[in-house]
Amino acid sequence: MLQIENVSKSFGGTPPRRVLGGVSLQLAAGEYVAVMGESGTGKSTLLNLIAGLDTPDAGRISLDGQDIGALDDDARTRLRRARMGFVFQAFHLLPHLSVERNVALPLALNGRQGREAADRVRELLSAVGMLERADAAPSQLSGGEMQRVAVARALAHRPALVLADEPTGNLDSDSAAEVLELLAAQLKRDNAAGILVTHSDLAAATTDRILQLTRQGLAPRAAASPHRS
Amino acid sequence: MIAPLLIEAAITGPMRRSPGRTLLAVLAIALGVALGLAIYLINRSAADEISLAARSLYGLADLAVEAGAEGFDESFYPRVARLPGVSVASPVVEVAARVVGHRSPLTLLGMDGFRSKLLQPAFAASVGATDTNSDDALEDGSESESAADEAFDDRWILLSASAARELQLARGDIIEFQVGVKRERMRVAGVLPPAALQDFAGVVDIATAQWVFERLGNLSRINLRLATGSSPERVKAALTEMLPPSVRITTPGEATDDALRLSRAYRSNLTALALVALFTGGFFVYSTQSLAALRRRREFAVMHAIGVTRKEQLALMLSSSVIVGVLGAALGIVLGVMIARIGLSVLGADLGAGYFRGLAPGLNVHVAEVAVFSLLGIGVAVVGALRPALDAARVPTASALKAGDITSGEIRPHGWTVLTLGLLAAIVVSLPPIAGLPLPGFVAIALFLIACVVAMPAVVRFVLRHAPRWRHVPYEIAIAQIAGTAKYATLSVSSIIVSFSLMASMAIMVTSFRDSLDQWTQKVLPADLYVRVGYVGQSSYLDEALAQSMARVQGVEHVEYNRFARVQLSADRPALTLIARSMDRDHPESTLWMMSTASNEIPSGAVPVWVSEAASDLFAIKSGNEIEFELAGKAVVASVRGVWRDYEHQSGAIVMARDVYIDLTGDRAVNTVWFWLDDAADVRKVGNAIRDLMPPGTDHDLRTPGEVRKLSLEAFDRTFAITYLLELVAVTIGLFGIAAGISAQVLARRSEFGALRHLGFTRRQVATMLAIEGSVLGALGVIVGLFAGTVISLILIYVVNRQSFHWSMDLSAPVGLLAGLSAALIAAAALIAVVSGRQAMGGEVVRAVREDW
Repeated sequence: MLQIENVSKSFGGTPPRRVLGGVSLQLAAGEYVAVMGESGTGKSTLLNLIAGLDTPDAGRISLDGQDIGALDDDARTRLRRARMGFVFQAFHLLPHLSVERNVALPLALNGRQGREAADRVRELLSAVGMLERADAAPSQLSGGEMQRVAVARALAHRPALVLADEPTGNLDSDSAAEVLELLAAQLKRDNAAGILVTHSDLAAATTDRILQLTRQGLAPRAAASPHRS
Repeated sequence: MIAPLLIEAAITGPMRRSPGRTLLAVLAIALGVALGLAIYLINRSAADEISLAARSLYGLADLAVEAGAEGFDESFYPRVARLPGVSVASPVVEVAARVVGHRSPLTLLGMDGFRSKLLQPAFAASVGATDTNSDDALEDGSESESAADEAFDDRWILLSASAARELQLARGDIIEFQVGVKRERMRVAGVLPPAALQDFAGVVDIATAQWVFERLGNLSRINLRLATGSSPERVKAALTEMLPPSVRITTPGEATDDALRLSRAYRSNLTALALVALFTGGFFVYSTQSLAALRRRREFAVMHAIGVTRKEQLALMLSSSVIVGVLGAALGIVLGVMIARIGLSVLGADLGAGYFRGLAPGLNVHVAEVAVFSLLGIGVAVVGALRPALDAARVPTASALKAGDITSGEIRPHGWTVLTLGLLAAIVVSLPPIAGLPLPGFVAIALFLIACVVAMPAVVRFVLRHAPRWRHVPYEIAIAQIAGTAKYATLSVSSIIVSFSLMASMAIMVTSFRDSLDQWTQKVLPADLYVRVGYVGQSSYLDEALAQSMARVQGVEHVEYNRFARVQLSADRPALTLIARSMDRDHPESTLWMMSTASNEIPSGAVPVWVSEAASDLFAIKSGNEIEFELAGKAVVASVRGVWRDYEHQSGAIVMARDVYIDLTGDRAVNTVWFWLDDAADVRKVGNAIRDLMPPGTDHDLRTPGEVRKLSLEAFDRTFAITYLLELVAVTIGLFGIAAGISAQVLARRSEFGALRHLGFTRRQVATMLAIEGSVLGALGVIVGLFAGTVISLILIYVVNRQSFHWSMDLSAPVGLLAGLSAALIAAAALIAVVSGRQAMGGEVVRAVREDW
């Protein structure tokens, strides 16, 4: 489903700073992987490249056979809108929308409104335990609650791929565990693939396989956790 | 198609969340639209009234043969009437008749009763209509017609509705005119309905007009109705061939244009000044939207990340400004119509400037005008939001989503843009006026202002680098904050720069004008006492014998005389005022403010004259040039011996020695007598003695130079009073910019304030810090505003004013006023900063330290 072939990326300056080099990855539908690595090894950059928020200097990234790098910004945005979901470390719920409407936003962007969309929102809010707070504003939620809403938003439109960048970085351990469990469960339920960027072994253990990102590229780090199986 | 939910997320949600800022943006646009529309409506109503009044003088005429300054011989009339293609020719004598006890002259039309009925059926009909309402009502058409004929009888006058209203006269009343110093009485035959004659005017029989007002054998105009199928161009060509060059053949439309020309510069300058508020409103929208784009940088990045395209983001931001524009325009239209109504009823059609005295127009609002001003308001809001919207749509998503994104405070100096705009302004300002209006000057001002705003980041950086170091924690943090968010600072002050610079420039221009006018009145009024009877073209005057008897009043050392007349230098332009005065030809500078003098000798056969700056500009005449004109039917060759400064005659004036004038015309009448008194003379006693010499009831002005100076300055202050109001509104909108900027930053810096409170900052210290930030921002606005204002004032003085009114003036800066205004603005900015940042002092910010954003 997702194919990354020998991708590299450098950033400005003289000489340019090489952040990623020769990264390759294949991800099947429904597969959930963790990407770990030291700070500055380019984990977030890799996610941005996959999402089409940035373009690689070399190599190819394709989703369902479509070369993301060959698309213009609008087409990449439309692809992201339809096929991907995001969970951020800092939650990034839209402050002017209620919990329910934040979750409904990806559906609305994909032209799905009405009863079916409302049912989907309620289903997800129920699944993440936020149904009773559906009308609350983001500013009224705790960090854990905000991230649960963010997980629901990322999955609302049944994306093929969910990208999660340190989703538990701002949470306490109990909330983090809850959010990770929810994310993994929801991915399985929707048969969506997922990439989790994290520094936490505990978080990585909730995925199917763990990859280590180094200057040399991506390499398997350990077998899937028994918890996942 | 943008999803409604997205509209809520990006447009209506933020508006609801920051209603104050939205309201200020709407108000900024509304005030701009309201003032622009109100001034435009008032001006247009006055212009309509003038046009209708001018048009009503021509009735159904297709062409008019217009005399120059002195009228033309009536022997032309039968020749014109017999010309092939002319169906009806109606001769007219037009006199500026002095009504006893009333300052403004009545436009008196002497017309041929039979012929004018063919061209002015409304006159005849209205006489009948007037009579129908009276006690001796006439019942049928024929009787009505005979009544109309009777109304044209000797010593009867038909008054226009506005003249009857202003003079409080009705049918059967007596009206008295002053001709020379004699009284002439006429009976009011009827009052014409407003549609028939719309000026402060009256209609009499042509023979009466010629006899009573000493215009025997002379006509002012012949109105022509052409025969069906005849070519106006052919008739025009035949008339041109037949008539002397000083006679002009016009259409009624051209005549109404002439009537409007005199006040056009004033009206367009006032409208331009009113639109400054809208221009400032545009900058306010620019600063609020830019601040919103910076503040909501992450929000835009998130939207892009979850699938909102750049184009959709741009559309969302622009839609938001369209909503502000639509709301602002709607409110502005309502306010504008209200202000126009109040302005017309309280201040009059000229808003107190004295241009359209006696005019009482009603207010009609046309749909097209509402549409244009609405579009202007929406357009300004959209243009103001365009750059911020583009910035918002270009937010680099990946970096903006990172924790600790700090690019929002980045500033760029834009040196090339500033230079290009400055150069462009310099080029545009040197262009000639367009259609007689100083449009390039206004465009140059706009370009220069935009250059100043673009240059602000560099100025902010420079000023803060040189800001005094002071070991006072709130001060240090305030300066560090502004330095760290220079882009916010720049945006907050952009609208204050625009409005303050315009206020400063107007203050410098008005002071320069006022000081120059003051000096001018002292220069041109060297005598101890003045008496004026009548003015140019008016029926009243003093005969020479009476004027000379005044010279013999005890206490009078010597006298000089002035006579006003008209000369036509070009058939296409209004006549100039000719001032024939007793003067020392070798020393004209003793009573004229000379701007240049001729160095050549007077050519033989030429008479010496001195022209005003307006005449010099309008007719491209320089000192030493020769000009030709007709005076009393004689061709005169004159040598221009100098150009003098004049603030009185907008269409231009020529001064000629009185003895030369008498030689040329034989006219010994006098309009003004200048009295130099003995040292021991009592001005009041001399004044009373002069009054006693005039026939009882003679209308005259008898004043000392001090009184004339006081009246001139009062009229000046009245004229410019409305401009102060417009500037005040612009500065208020500018202060909105600071309020919106500080409040936006307070929201964005909640966690910073929370941290400061955790560290032990008192509320008072937070308030002090905000006050310092506000005053520094205000001071930055004042510094750049003063610089920009000085440059703009030079454009106003040397380009806009000169091209509009042809008046030069000496630069004079109101240092005290500008210092006071600057201090007031800085204090207001400090106060507004504290008020709009009050959230920073509340308990909520203490909790905000836990929040991420």
